[in-house]
Amino acid sequence: MSEQTFLVLTALAEEPLHGYAIVQAVEQLSEGRMVLRVGTLYGVLDRLVSDGLAERDREEVHQGRLRRYYKLTDSGVRALQAEVARLSANVRAASAVLRGRGVQPWASRA
Amino acid sequence: MGESGVRNLERRYRTLLKVLPKWYRRDREEEMVGIFLAERNDDLDLEHSWPGWGETFAVLGLAVRTHLAAGAALTGVPGKVVWRGEVVRALGMIGLLLGLFYGVAAIVNLAVAYGNPAFAPGITWWWLLELGPIVAFAALLSGRRTLAKIAAAAPVVLALGSLGQPQYMLLWGVFQLPSIVTFVCLCLGFHREAPTPPVRRLVWWGGGAMVLGLLGGFATGAGLLAVGLITVIVRVVAFVRGDVVLGRAVSLFAVLQLVPLVFLVVAGSEILVPAAGLALLLVLTAVAPVRRPSAQGFRV
Repeated sequence: MSEQTFLVLTALAEEPLHGYAIVQAVEQLSEGRMVLRVGTLYGVLDRLVSDGLAERDREEVHQGRLRRYYKLTDSGVRALQAEVARLSANVRAASAVLRGRGVQPWASRA
Repeated sequence: MGESGVRNLERRYRTLLKVLPKWYRRDREEEMVGIFLAERNDDLDLEHSWPGWGETFAVLGLAVRTHLAAGAALTGVPGKVVWRGEVVRALGMIGLLLGLFYGVAAIVNLAVAYGNPAFAPGITWWWLLELGPIVAFAALLSGRRTLAKIAAAAPVVLALGSLGQPQYMLLWGVFQLPSIVTFVCLCLGFHREAPTPPVRRLVWWGGGAMVLGLLGGFATGAGLLAVGLITVIVRVVAFVRGDVVLGRAVSLFAVLQLVPLVFLVVAGSEILVPAAGLALLLVLTAVAPVRRPSAQGFRV
């Protein structure tokens, strides 16, 4: 699972969101590292929908513009859960190695 | 502001979105324009700004993925465009198989020339680029797409070496057409959403191409004719099996081969009669129907 997909799933796990809200949520979750382009966002959303991990929710018109909401499906929640387990295991393994070298695993950011 | 109330920036974004297929735009355009213009309220900005490079490239990438959709990667793709991406990928694979054939033939020719002092000085390190398609084929099957695309560019780079001599430009264009088309098909067809090709089946095809290359390397001059004949045979097999994607891809491939063949015929080559006969067979290959009228549905 790419980092983009992971972050979009995470954003949708909280509540159903429309496209622009997903872009904002991903930027926040990644602390500004990842700004999704519209073309990229729809590539990710198309893939999630066709894999059955997300689905279309309600539509709203906001200031004359269409907003279509997307929500996570049950298998989307399970996919996110599995990815979190995988990443956590990696983090635990790396932390153990760093501790073995006498280094703090959680370095403070400059 | 324009009379219709649509601002320049919105018009420019809508123009950019025209690179996407119509069926996709019908469903998504309004939603996407909404995101592009979210929180952009400044009058100057709305009148004089243009879509940024990053957004433009992302939309172009989406255009490739939707025009050449991989069967399972999108929902709501109209049936008549589903096969387009599959044909481009199949054409790229056939081009690579041709590259395997020529690559192995080049190795054989080198081995033969190596022992012959008359030919040995003609061998340069450029020769290594002939192996590009072999690397590309292996890389593609193992899922390393970027490496595959770089390696597939090797024959094109090799041909660029001859650009210094303008009299060979036409010859270069004619004989490198399959390599160029293969490279373009691989770049466009094997995008991020496209599936990895079936390894087991392609290993057999690749092995076959390499064995033929081994034989072709020893039988000099017959390479083009052998490739043409195999094209015709594969096309017949595809028709009998009702494999529409393979049939269309081979038809396009036949057109690619016709170009150098016609060149040979016009130039009055010494293999004029077989070349003309083969050209006729390839024309039939290119225009013959891809499935029997009685066949049920498409096999994509």
